[in-house]
Amino acid sequence: MIEIKHKAYLFDATRCIDCRACMVACSVENSIPMDKTRIWVAGVGVKGEFPNLDRATMVYHCMHCEHPDCMSACPVGAYHKRDDGPVIYNPDVCIGCRYCMNACPFGVPHFDYDKGIIAGAFIDKCTFCPQRVDNGLEPACVATCPTDALEYGEREDMIKAAHARIAAHPERYIDHVYGEFENGGTSYLILSHVPFSELGLPAIPEKPVNEVSEKVMEMTIPFAIGWGAVLTAITAGVAIYDKKKESQKPAELDEKVEAPK
Amino acid sequence: MTNTISRRDFLKLGGAATAMLAVGQMLPPMVAKAARETGQINAAGDGFISSMCEMCVWRCGLVAKIKDGRVVKLEGNPEHPHSRGNLCPRGQSGLMNTYDPDRVLTPLIRVGKRGEGLFRKASWEEALDLVASKMMEIKQKYGPEAMVFSSTHNLSQPLFENLLYAFGSPNYGTQRSLCFNAMIVSNLMTYGMEEPARIYDDKLAYILLTGRNLMEAISTSETSDLSHAIDRGAKVVYLDPRFTKTAAKASEWLPIKPGTDLAFHLALLNVIIAENLYNQTFVTNSTVGFDQLAKEVSKYTPDWAAQQTGIPAETISRIAHEFAAAAPHALAHNGWRTSNFINSFHTERAIAILNALVGNWNVTMTDAAGEESGTLGSPTQPPFPRVSALRLDGVPWKYPVVPLKIGVFQEMRDNIVKGDPYQAHGWFISRQNPIMSIPDRAKTLEAFAKMDFIVTIDIILNDTAWFSDVVLPEASYLERYDPLVPIGNRIFIRQPVIEPQGEAKSALWIYKQLGERLGLGDFFQYKDEEDYLRQQLAPLGFSLEEIKAKGFVETAEPAHASEAAEPNWNTPSGKVELYSDTLAKVGFPGVPTWLEPPQPAEGQYYLLTGKVAQSTQFGTQNNQLLHKYSDEPRLWMNAKSASENGLADGDWVEVTSEVGKVHSLLNVTQAIRPDCVYLTPGYGHLSKGLKTAYGIGVSDSALHVTYTDPISGGQALSQTFVSVKKA
Repeated sequence: MIEIKHKAYLFDATRCIDCRACMVACSVENSIPMDKTRIWVAGVGVKGEFPNLDRATMVYHCMHCEHPDCMSACPVGAYHKRDDGPVIYNPDVCIGCRYCMNACPFGVPHFDYDKGIIAGAFIDKCTFCPQRVDNGLEPACVATCPTDALEYGEREDMIKAAHARIAAHPERYIDHVYGEFENGGTSYLILSHVPFSELGLPAIPEKPVNEVSEKVMEMTIPFAIGWGAVLTAITAGVAIYDKKKESQKPAELDEKVEAPK
Repeated sequence: MTNTISRRDFLKLGGAATAMLAVGQMLPPMVAKAARETGQINAAGDGFISSMCEMCVWRCGLVAKIKDGRVVKLEGNPEHPHSRGNLCPRGQSGLMNTYDPDRVLTPLIRVGKRGEGLFRKASWEEALDLVASKMMEIKQKYGPEAMVFSSTHNLSQPLFENLLYAFGSPNYGTQRSLCFNAMIVSNLMTYGMEEPARIYDDKLAYILLTGRNLMEAISTSETSDLSHAIDRGAKVVYLDPRFTKTAAKASEWLPIKPGTDLAFHLALLNVIIAENLYNQTFVTNSTVGFDQLAKEVSKYTPDWAAQQTGIPAETISRIAHEFAAAAPHALAHNGWRTSNFINSFHTERAIAILNALVGNWNVTMTDAAGEESGTLGSPTQPPFPRVSALRLDGVPWKYPVVPLKIGVFQEMRDNIVKGDPYQAHGWFISRQNPIMSIPDRAKTLEAFAKMDFIVTIDIILNDTAWFSDVVLPEASYLERYDPLVPIGNRIFIRQPVIEPQGEAKSALWIYKQLGERLGLGDFFQYKDEEDYLRQQLAPLGFSLEEIKAKGFVETAEPAHASEAAEPNWNTPSGKVELYSDTLAKVGFPGVPTWLEPPQPAEGQYYLLTGKVAQSTQFGTQNNQLLHKYSDEPRLWMNAKSASENGLADGDWVEVTSEVGKVHSLLNVTQAIRPDCVYLTPGYGHLSKGLKTAYGIGVSDSALHVTYTDPISGGQALSQTFVSVKKA
């Protein structure tokens, strides 16, 4: 059996020069409309008072959580977490309820209000460039970064590299790899010279907030299906009773109840 | 019947271009055919083709992803030393230059008044005939010198030069005097070469950047080198009145007073000589003029420099010690767009000399691998006609040490207006936007008004094209061939990765067509673009197909000698000239000498400009992808100064200089000295044919006053002072 390697991004704010090559690369690679983006520049920017200044910006996009809140909030299963890291959104299934937007602690999924409810594909966010990584390429943002502020590799290696960098230059970094444990861990790891809040990152408990809700939400669909099956069975039972026909197999009934969804 | 087109019609033109493209895809395209033969794309028309970027002059290697005959993505070519697999934001957005809906895709002939933007479409035949006849008319009436030619640093430049020198005009306007004249001329006077190469190896420990904002003025590989050096722990000291993105990465940022970089560097030389911190072996064996230098810089103590620069004397002294201690693994960067004050030549000389004194040669800097060098072939051509007319830009009669191929562009413009020493009547412009680039825009428009005939070659209706009589549509860098470029022992190709859209043609084709019509066909002895490249490759024994398939070919021998070879300083003494007899002979100080720069009057500010990573000069603001990710250009002002003036962030302000006035939005920030304001250059376009860029920001050139450094001919770009009040 092939072992699936869990991939992650490593972003180093001390290396980022805010040139935005990653943003353009993402836009082109993923054919993002001119008025939309999947990457933002976050952070407080220039801070301090002349001449004692510092700068805090980061490349902000989907964190690709290990326990994605978007996925657990989604009532229709439009999100799934791939074994190799990416959190994937499926526009064909999405009903545009925007629960994921409320659920995401990082404020990543964006609703396309221009398209509204009719055109489909309501939510947009970073995909991890599966069309590239599945073909042995780095995500578009990583591939073009001129200062290696964005890197990509196996999550374990990225975490090791991040800690090694802190150990080599403790004066340069906050001694913490954001995303190693936050929200139960993410596939976008961040190193910084300024407090993470100044990069626009929320303070999040290490225990994923959706640990409980996830279990409940995970039950939503089986519950709906099961309850549907019960109702259908009753209806069918009534029908059988009424029409005095042969009984049907529950499995087939289950399939029938998919339709009203 | 004339078919006039207005700004609104350009929208329709854009639509027509798309339609044309669709038709084009149905024909058997030559690019696709060739790429299929070399295996770069498959039968369905999908694949990858290697070429070279042209979003700035760094020329990164790129790999274009092609799908259904369209470029869908650009990647850095890992085989190219300038990109190493990366592209900057401009490189990444390059395909939107090609697919700009505002592309000019057919020759245009003006039908309205100049600057009204009314043109009619014309055939190439008609447009070229018209251009050639107008040029011949001017030549016959006033002599060839009455035609001014200008173009900037691009790969087809040798053929442009053929056209101008064969035509017989001495008037060649590059934009270099608006950029790096001070750096080039000072290096020529010191090392006998325009720009020594910089070496960022693992041992590089100390980097002194004088206004070199490498994190925003991106040269992909060098920006990457600097970033990695910082990562390894190299110390970076950065001088700039603004807290740029480079300042944010530097170990130490010194917000020096504008115009006083020279004082800072003179004091470094003072300390290094006075305290015997220099490399005596290198100074003795490889330099001339140490005594003259030592005598002059003895005046420039750190205490004196502290008064000038606002940087404490102890800091200056410490940096001198640190730099000398780190040497030879230390680098004082010459900078790029460095002609900021009329004393900038001396600043650049002082930087060049600083590197020499501590013996950095062949460690952090070395003989540059010139792109013109190498063993490439070229078509045969007759000698150029002798030119006896004086150059309008005063080179060399007024600027004796400025190289002819660099010139003094702003002086040329001034003398066109004055008609001194004679009147110019025609202007041939290729891939350049002098209306936006030369300081004092109103005066440049005056110069244009003096012209009987103006022709511009570009891919979009830039501001200069907008004021031209004929516009010739060039194929974009993704649609055309340019001459080959050697780098080290590799030769790289720029080749079309898609078919030219509309009627667009390569510069190689346009110059040849014009040359033939002007009776100068002998200077363009190539059948077509591919034939030109084949003639270049002939002496090396490579086929065009080989270089097309891979994007480069590798020669056996590196084009340049190894480090062990004797350095080749092409100076009169054959050594590094700390004192230059050449300079002294023409009446300039032979060693760097303090020259007091002017200062703003009470209530005025230094007007600074400087690059951002999302645009190149004046030519990329209409790129929709760059526009998408650019900050809105506003006038920066320090928060303290703003509050003193009763101004708040987001206010509209009136900015007035000696030559112009603009209205800008205000960005109140901490990231600039209180005595300075800053504008992102390249905005405030006049051409309504640039629908993305038009109406965005204001023009720095509309405010810039023309001041020329008398030695290097560089425009002193930071010597303009402005007043700012609420609009």
